[in-house]
Amino acid sequence: MSAFTLPSASLLSQSVLSGIFVGALYGLMGLGLSLSWGLLRLINLAHFAFAFLAAYLCYELASRGLDPLLTLAAIVPLFFAIGAGLQGLVARFAITPFNSLLLTFGLTGLVEALIQSVWTADFRKLESSYAEQKFKVGTLFVPVPELITLVLAVAISVAVWAVLRHTDLGRALRAAAEDAPIAAAFGVNQKANALLLAGTCAALASIAGVCLALSFTLAPSQIYAWIGVVFAAVMLGGLGRALGPLVAGTLIGVSEAVTMAVTAPSWAPMVSFTLLIVVLVLRPGRAA
Amino acid sequence: MKTFRSTRRGALVAALATVLGAIALPAATQTAAAPVRIGSTLALTGPLSATAQIHRIVGEIYVEQLNKRGGLLGRPVEWIVKDDQSKPDLARTLYEQLVTADKVDLLIGPYATGAILSAMGVAQRYNKVLVHHTLGIPALAKYDMQFPAWSLGSDPATTVPNTIFDALAAGPKPPKTVAVVTNKFPSIQFMTAGAREVMKKRGLTEVLFLEWDFGNRDFGPIANRVKDAKPDFVWVGAIGLDGNLLLDAMKKLDYVPPQHFYLYPAPGPLVSLPEAKNALSVTIFEDQPPFTSAPGAAEFVKLYRERATKAGLADPSVETQAAASYTAWQILEAGVVATKSLDDKAIATWLKANKVDTLQGKLRFDGLGNFGDDLMRVKQVQNGHWVVVWPKEVTSGGAKLIAP
Amino acid sequence: MSGPLRALVKRTPIAIVGAGVLLAGLPLLGLPAFYDSLLYLMLHWIVLATSWNILSGYTGYFSFGHGAFFGAGLYTTSTLLARHDWPFLWTLPVAALVAAVLGVALGAIVFRVKGVRGELFALLTLAVTFVIGTIVGNTPLDGGQGVSLSAVPVPKIGPTASSTFYLLALAAATTTLLIAWGIAASRFGAGLFAIHDDEDAAEVIGVPTYRYKLMALAISCALAGVAGGIHALFLSYVTVGEVFTIAVPLTVVLMSVLGGTRHWAGPAVGAVAITGLLYSFTAADHAIAGKAATGAILIAAILFMPDGILPRLQRMFDRRGASVPAVVGATAPVSAPSAAQALAMAAASAVAAPGSVSAGDRRGATVGTGAVLLQVRGLDKRFKGVHALSAVDVDVRRGEILGLLGPNGSGKSTFINVISGHYAATAGEVRFEGQDLTGTPAHRIAAAGIARTYQIPRPFAHLSVVDNVALAAMFGGVVADPAAARREAMTWLEFTGLAGRADARPDALNLHQRKFLELARALASRPSLVLLDEVLSGLTPSEIDAAVALIRRIRDQGATIVFVEHVMRAVMALTDRIVVFDHGLLLAEGAASEVMKRPDVMTAYLGTAAVAVARQ
Repeated sequence: MSAFTLPSASLLSQSVLSGIFVGALYGLMGLGLSLSWGLLRLINLAHFAFAFLAAYLCYELASRGLDPLLTLAAIVPLFFAIGAGLQGLVARFAITPFNSLLLTFGLTGLVEALIQSVWTADFRKLESSYAEQKFKVGTLFVPVPELITLVLAVAISVAVWAVLRHTDLGRALRAAAEDAPIAAAFGVNQKANALLLAGTCAALASIAGVCLALSFTLAPSQIYAWIGVVFAAVMLGGLGRALGPLVAGTLIGVSEAVTMAVTAPSWAPMVSFTLLIVVLVLRPGRAA
Repeated sequence: MKTFRSTRRGALVAALATVLGAIALPAATQTAAAPVRIGSTLALTGPLSATAQIHRIVGEIYVEQLNKRGGLLGRPVEWIVKDDQSKPDLARTLYEQLVTADKVDLLIGPYATGAILSAMGVAQRYNKVLVHHTLGIPALAKYDMQFPAWSLGSDPATTVPNTIFDALAAGPKPPKTVAVVTNKFPSIQFMTAGAREVMKKRGLTEVLFLEWDFGNRDFGPIANRVKDAKPDFVWVGAIGLDGNLLLDAMKKLDYVPPQHFYLYPAPGPLVSLPEAKNALSVTIFEDQPPFTSAPGAAEFVKLYRERATKAGLADPSVETQAAASYTAWQILEAGVVATKSLDDKAIATWLKANKVDTLQGKLRFDGLGNFGDDLMRVKQVQNGHWVVVWPKEVTSGGAKLIAP
Repeated sequence: MSGPLRALVKRTPIAIVGAGVLLAGLPLLGLPAFYDSLLYLMLHWIVLATSWNILSGYTGYFSFGHGAFFGAGLYTTSTLLARHDWPFLWTLPVAALVAAVLGVALGAIVFRVKGVRGELFALLTLAVTFVIGTIVGNTPLDGGQGVSLSAVPVPKIGPTASSTFYLLALAAATTTLLIAWGIAASRFGAGLFAIHDDEDAAEVIGVPTYRYKLMALAISCALAGVAGGIHALFLSYVTVGEVFTIAVPLTVVLMSVLGGTRHWAGPAVGAVAITGLLYSFTAADHAIAGKAATGAILIAAILFMPDGILPRLQRMFDRRGASVPAVVGATAPVSAPSAAQALAMAAASAVAAPGSVSAGDRRGATVGTGAVLLQVRGLDKRFKGVHALSAVDVDVRRGEILGLLGPNGSGKSTFINVISGHYAATAGEVRFEGQDLTGTPAHRIAAAGIARTYQIPRPFAHLSVVDNVALAAMFGGVVADPAAARREAMTWLEFTGLAGRADARPDALNLHQRKFLELARALASRPSLVLLDEVLSGLTPSEIDAAVALIRRIRDQGATIVFVEHVMRAVMALTDRIVVFDHGLLLAEGAASEVMKRPDVMTAYLGTAAVAVARQ
């Protein structure tokens, strides 16, 4: 392990910013997964496959001249429909959370095969005008694609939080997640809510996918590269909590970035995950 | 008149017989001769599939061309390829299937070091010769009857960096300070370690050394540290997309390294990246003279471009991976033809003692680990294309290393 | 458990070993070596999935860290082989040991933390995988280069190298399956299953949950370590990137869930199914289509077999095979008998409690001496600002029925929770039969002779009624082996009139029957002191009469009873003394009829105005 180097202030602050950006993406990717796990009791591995499928669709449309952000207008409703449709199909079967892992793993394989057959296993990078743009705030560089991701992540997380906290729908969803029979007795239409929720989670995945396409290079096998760290953000942030994945993801991203700034980057995963373990062991109540 | 007519009739009959014979004989030979079966696996699904798909196309082209030329030993050639799903343990099992159950005549290598080593183990147990395309760590190739198609030489960690630094020294701005950043992937890491030694010996100053994990997503802090180190030259031990991600991150910081080198990048994505201007890399073959004057090269390059485009590959030009793949087949064919047999031991013995004419030139296999010469050349991204810039003998059109 | 099924169970280990021996002859058939390697892979996954299940399936602590322990074993073997030239077979026990030590070190910390369950445990174990992977990748253990084992000779156990691996994996798989079966059939396994359903209730009936979880973890890790060690040489070139990822833990979870996590053989079935599925699509022409097909098949499998393959097969065979004969003691009831009927039946058959031994005899003292059994001094319990119990002093005398009364929120249930060890006291002292039980873990309190029921019944949902009670008998220190415990449990079920429902699941019982199940479970450990928490709530008047009679009979056999109640007539009928709680304080103590007339007690229950009215 190379020695610690004392980073300059600008290096440190830029690294923290970099960590916030990647953490925001973790959070955005994790949001749909967290809601699905916490409120629908479905551990949706296919969430990642949906994100990548959306990313590829964005890439495809943008390569034909459409502005990547505008592709959201087509992609989000499409994935909402896919998510709700799948929920409708699956709802008639008795699925436990860990069964759903198996189910969605199969689905992931299907989607990955679809992506590979259409776009081949090649790496695809979206070249957009956004990639060229950046701001400078003091000494800090703020690239636009990452900023878009951050803004979307925060805005959507807050919006979801507000819906869950302050609207009847949100209360109904949370009630149904806690005790379905009682919620039904109180008139909560669980079937409709479940469709709505599943559609929303898929839509959230697709938004994350578009952000992914803006900043990262795509390959079918990359679907699996994100599972570990996003699951970590989801579990750490607390299932079904709208702001959880964002906060946890940021924590993970920043801890990794700071490690990479001060010492050998190959130690970064150890630092972030050790931090996670320490947080869990010392204060599990906070995370639960 | 009788003589003339009978002569003409005779000639007619003879001609007819020849024609019929010409048609019938190959047919007869074909139905009589069983195909020569060559077996291998490739990572057709999984993380390695992006590169393995290149090997598939090349293999198909080669076998087609081979069969057009009459096959091997007068028999048609059949390539049995299986999907090892990017898993070395499955590669091992499938190679065993090829040898013990499918009973193929010959083997050829899979893609990527892990799978190649698994295949090598199987080949060793069954005394099969194994020609492989892209083994990145020559020191691990301990089997006697394995032959590399990738001309790294037996000590690439020393020879390749030397080539690069020779090129830089002969260029307009020989660097004095170097930032070394590398992936910890096995075939990359040892090359970078060798590069650092070479740098020391050549009196260059290392201003930064960083390693990152395979699968790292956030290159921001790394790019930042490179920028802060203000090196003349950045050595990037990259594989796949690392180069792109790093350049992206550097661009976001308004930083362009003065001179930069990428070890094994995914060539297509890198060359099309605007920030990759003047990036250096290494290659054994490029789609340009004088490489295309090698026997068979021009036709292969054309065919590959057609097939790759049809298959939807983003970058349809031939470079190291495709060339090494084609070379492997050439080596195997040469061995079979020269020994007039499918006997693995005979082929191996012949290969060790002789040179084979390939896309990369005349290759020898008598060095350590059956590696021969280091034929890695330096190429550079110039105007959105890869241009070979060193050594001078393999450049064309006055191409030179550019340093801004 | 029915007769024929019981006989089958004993034959299982023989069947496993027999199959192992039979399969060991495979290399002799001279099949192409490919089959050895393919079967090796299958057996390798059987070991990994089954070992994972021993902790995660049985206890419900889903771990995402199996890759860490597998990797630890793999790298132990690689390091010993490459750097220290150890003979291969000797590295395997060391690999098992290293993995087990790692697991126990992790578990020792993590299992102590009460909040880390469910997905937090999964996350923690996943995090450990990445941490260890990074450490291995950055130190000389691997350092990024990978470890090459091509120069290491493979021991000649089978005719070929591949058959050697096959035989090693076969031995490992046979051992793993035997262990998994053995645990499932033992007292240890019963405890693990109880932890799965309700860890706190399990602890309270005497299951040493912490110790058991650690043991299950240690065994699980050791087996994974062995699998890793063998795999290292199979691969002959190991890299960090192949091993310390989410791939291994995800795959074992999928295999176990597919096969069925509650059965010892479930993961093995899942492993064979998924390995077969993954490796059947290796033809190049259909590689991508094969991947899609694999996905589709998995989806279909789980939709139509949500409990897993094995339970579905079992159900198919159960329907066809012999029906379960009625259990000893009761006539096969068509519907659940009412409480009165049940009690009458129980009264008609051997009324005396099992063994006719008073609970007190077990501990050496005699009944009804009036000596102090439980002595509580200054008991205090706070919950982050709520002062639930305030300096409570109570004596419970042997052989009495003591009522605990008070308005809602007065601390009655908290009192029971603290005495039984469900919560730890903030301050104060609890002495039972002279022993100081303050701060003792709940399972030791249970072993000392204190049992309790829960106001809202907490049966172990996946265990049958008889198994629920058998568990208490096993862990209350009455009997040690599961078969004897079941017999003991049946007699308690007769006592409480539930014998006819012995094989039913608790959720098939109505509330009253579940309360009696709680009672039977509490009694099965032959406690000296029984704490009943509102056992009568929700019952109809006739059911209450039956329960009261039952409680009296329990005391008549020598148990001391403390019970929390609101139903006044029961209190009047049953109790010798009562104590009244109010806002955590002990308000009054004495005979029921007197205490209830006291003005401060009436105020506490009814409010000042009402008392004033009552006075008039």
